[in-house]
Amino acid sequence: MDNTSKNIAIRIKNVTCSYGGKPAVRNASLDVPQNSICAFIGPSGCGKTTLLRSVNRLNDLTEGFALSGSIEINGENIYGNDAASHVEALRRNIGMIFQQPNPLPTGILKNMYMPIKAHYTGEKKYFYEKAVEKLKTAGLYDEIEHRLDRTALSLSGGQQQRLCIARALMLEPKIMLFDEPCSALDPIATYKIEDMLLELKKERTMIIVTHNMEQARRVSDYTAFFYQGEIVEAGRTNDVFFNPKTELLDQYIRGRFS
Amino acid sequence: MPIKQKNHRASDLAGTAYAHISAAIIVCVFAFMLIVILRYGFGALSLRFLIEEPDPSALGASKGGILTPLIGTVVLTLIGILIAFPFALATAIYLGFYAKKGGFNTLVKGAVDILSGVPTVVIALFALLVFTLPQFGFFSVMIEGVEGTNRAYGKSFLVAGITMAIMILPFVIKSMEEALKAVPASYMDASLALGATKWRTIRKVILGAARDGLTTGVILGMGRIVGDTAIVWLTLGGSIRMTGRKPWYAPENWLSTLKNGGSTLTSYIYYASPAGEGNQFDVAFGASLVLIAIILLLNLAATLIGKAGAHKNG
Repeated sequence: MDNTSKNIAIRIKNVTCSYGGKPAVRNASLDVPQNSICAFIGPSGCGKTTLLRSVNRLNDLTEGFALSGSIEINGENIYGNDAASHVEALRRNIGMIFQQPNPLPTGILKNMYMPIKAHYTGEKKYFYEKAVEKLKTAGLYDEIEHRLDRTALSLSGGQQQRLCIARALMLEPKIMLFDEPCSALDPIATYKIEDMLLELKKERTMIIVTHNMEQARRVSDYTAFFYQGEIVEAGRTNDVFFNPKTELLDQYIRGRFS
Repeated sequence: MPIKQKNHRASDLAGTAYAHISAAIIVCVFAFMLIVILRYGFGALSLRFLIEEPDPSALGASKGGILTPLIGTVVLTLIGILIAFPFALATAIYLGFYAKKGGFNTLVKGAVDILSGVPTVVIALFALLVFTLPQFGFFSVMIEGVEGTNRAYGKSFLVAGITMAIMILPFVIKSMEEALKAVPASYMDASLALGATKWRTIRKVILGAARDGLTTGVILGMGRIVGDTAIVWLTLGGSIRMTGRKPWYAPENWLSTLKNGGSTLTSYIYYASPAGEGNQFDVAFGASLVLIAIILLLNLAATLIGKAGAHKNG
């Protein structure tokens, strides 16, 4: 990828992942420049999510998971020798949004306070103001202004997902990971989230795993195409979609397989 | 014709009848039991029966009430569950979130399974052996005045409570493990991805989400303590009265009461039955009625909490 004009925020180098000896990602290398969106596309079970979850070391708790190679975030290898002891700090600085919206079964505001209370102590007033600010960023505040104390499970799917984004923003992450964030949502909710992604990109680096190729084309600057655990092709989104170099990617884009 | 269509009508009819009759028999047995218990026990029920201490000196006459057995049941249940709860919860958390496949994990699971199959009378016997050791004398009282004996009495509310805790541990652990397992993995992901530590995630997120299931486990454990007889008979003693300093309810005597024996509803029923000291069917059934009411209330609470939880998460 183009790494001359911009700084590299995430540098994935020769990463191989396996679960209990079974390989899931093979020798993947990829650079994601700062303040850009990189889309991971490819058929199901090809390692996209595994690699995504390796960027914030969320696979660490999966029994039998092993990773070789390195992932550098702002130049620092997060799989370095003593990196495992800083894993909470790492995750604090990387927001992650999942396929199924996962607000916790408690109040909306409590959900917003949860991340910040895990790391900081402070005045409730400050927490509240910050929560309101982030809910506004997520375009959610006006919709739920009068029921901030209601349970988060009373929100619609799209609202829940935007709540999760707002919740992640409470920690001001510079990197955000999205694992098929819209696959459980309807088109209007999807549109709202995509809109937000473009807004968030101004000062954040993001990776989005998606099965929706239209979405990849709409929101991403860079695209990496995965097939059977390998990154087959990666580059600027326009090049990848309009000028595929491999037969495999060409067929995938035409919807010959999924 | 080379093939012939089978006629399943007769076997279908027989199977249907078998299922229906079996269900009806269960209902009949239950109804019969309930009628007998009500028939004999209801007459004994009164406020006086609930708030008076039993008077076992009056042989054959149904003098006195069931106050001390009732209090005994409550005290024993509280001691047992208070001791069992922290251990059960921690073990369930270990099994659910820290245990790795094989090795120690298999050992813990095996121990839980085997412990759940040990008859309570055997657990009681074991407890009696341990708690009569003079080193454990502070859980009960030392035997005094017998030349050459240096043993503890080994029977008290504390001893019985600890024994009850051991008895219910496997059931409470299993039920809590199920409750923890039922928490969606996405909650764990949500909290970990925000940089919370694993322990904080378990404490703040998982336990909160599993609270109803955990409470159900506690209530079911309490139900088992309320209903057990063997442990009471062996480790609390065969006395219907509180054997500590009198009066047993005075705060300065509480410790003495706990370090001495007494009775529960189950041991009272045994005592009042023809197998025990008296032949007092009516008070035995009266106490049975109270006992069953307590267990039904506990089960009802467990069901209601379960339903409320399902409603909340549904």
